[in-house]
Amino acid sequence: MKNKLMHLSNETMNIGFVKKVEALSGSSVRRCFQCGKCSAGCPMSTFMEHPPNRVVRLLQLGQGQRILAGRSIWYCASCETCTTRCPNKVDLAAIMDALRKLSWDADGPSKESYVQLANRLFIENIRTYGRQYELRLGAAFNMKSGQFLKDLMLGPKLISKGKLKMFHSKNKNIAEIEGIFKRIEEMRKKGEAL
Amino acid sequence: MTPGKKRLSYSYYPGCSLHASGREYDISTRALFKALNVGLKEVPDWFCCGATPAHNVDELLSLSLCAKNLSLAEEVEGDLAVACAACFSRLKTTQHHLKEDDSKRKQVEVAIDGPAALNKPVKHILEILAREYGLAKLEESVKKPLLGLKVAAYYGCLLTRPPEVPELDDCEDPSIMEDLLRALGAEPVKWSHRMECCGANFTLSRPGVVLKLSNAILESARFAGADCIMVACPLCHGNLDIRQKEIKDAYGAPDSTLFGNIFGSELHGGSAPDQRDLPIFYVTQLAALAMGVASGSLGFESVITDPKPLLRDKQLL
Ligand code: SF4
Ligand code: SF4
Repeated sequence: MKNKLMHLSNETMNIGFVKKVEALSGSSVRRCFQCGKCSAGCPMSTFMEHPPNRVVRLLQLGQGQRILAGRSIWYCASCETCTTRCPNKVDLAAIMDALRKLSWDADGPSKESYVQLANRLFIENIRTYGRQYELRLGAAFNMKSGQFLKDLMLGPKLISKGKLKMFHSKNKNIAEIEGIFKRIEEMRKKGEAL
Repeated sequence: MTPGKKRLSYSYYPGCSLHASGREYDISTRALFKALNVGLKEVPDWFCCGATPAHNVDELLSLSLCAKNLSLAEEVEGDLAVACAACFSRLKTTQHHLKEDDSKRKQVEVAIDGPAALNKPVKHILEILAREYGLAKLEESVKKPLLGLKVAAYYGCLLTRPPEVPELDDCEDPSIMEDLLRALGAEPVKWSHRMECCGANFTLSRPGVVLKLSNAILESARFAGADCIMVACPLCHGNLDIRQKEIKDAYGAPDSTLFGNIFGSELHGGSAPDQRDLPIFYVTQLAALAMGVASGSLGFESVITDPKPLLRDKQLL
């Protein structure tokens, strides 16, 4: 992909997508002049097919689909190094968030399923219990990802060290959390929020 | 809150990790504040802040969860003390965003069905110790200086970034942890990886990422001659402490495993790598130890990479 000629035309560029990313992230992609500082400092760039500076470049060229088709956005650790160091105030960490949200909402074409699964279970946990319970999170992840033996040796050790709670309760104000989820869903249905 | 005759007192948001895998951070924070005679009162019925997964895919949800917590915190007096670097970053970011962006604030207020409370100062424990309690007073309160303990102060990603938000210290060259260590009598080492990412919450989805990044951090700390690492985040602690043995198995002795053969340490170019165990301490554990708090009440029994041999060796137990 990297060395293939890219033909740019109204048909191959999706500018509407770029505008959505800019609206969601509150950051312009046009300010980027490709200095590469973001990628130089990115701890995860070795795991990405498109390092951060190229993600911005692809957006400038209206090639959002190429980004979503890959794993890069799901390998971003949200460490904010890129945002901190960009000389042009491109908020790359927020752009990564926006790309993930768009991919997530479209039930992403991305190949990276484990990170998305972990995110989904994490958020479901909040909705159901109010707080995070790591044992439940880990167990659910292993079940749903089919990796039944993952971290098998770690579990009992952590339980014996008091690091994983075997039992837990729901927040007693859990209805308020459900309210937040519901009202956000309603706002989105009515088109009042992105 | 100005340090004066009035007793310092804070509301406290522990966050999910501090009630489970990071329990020793919670225990030692409470013990330290008690020893320093600083008030700490937990916010009742707080919720998960949403951490990285929520803002990863749903910014509005993340902002709303944090705004809800900030309004719960209004019920308790005093600035909001936060120990977890991730919760700290989320709560601060939310305040910052909602103050700047009226339309987002309105959406959040619909979501939480009430006004967003954005004015309570949110403070990280480090800030409270070094600035509000004050380094000079801290130094005076030391009963058992951590003499001879060489510590790699590890900031990780979120304590100082992005620069507009946490206002804790310089975003590229902070010194608050090192200053604190010196006040406690310990010796901070100079090292390269104090602000590199540990792999954070990939520990669940892609542990291989954590092994690689955390290995680089451990190697760098050993290379600088550190006896141990000090952290201020339960995620960093989990990755460096709980997975330390696994990291060694994967990256350690070049000939021990197949993995070792393939991914053998780059730093040591074939010579026998430094394999020392590095205990990982929370900032509050070291501070409390220096204040003379009994080690039995600092949660050391919950740590995986046993810190006791090191502490015994330095006559700190
Ligand atoms: S640091 Fe900023 S200007 Fe430089 S390549 Fe990255 S986004 Fe573009
Ligand atoms: S926030 Fe994401 S893209 Fe930016 S430096 Fe960190 S891991 Fe890389």
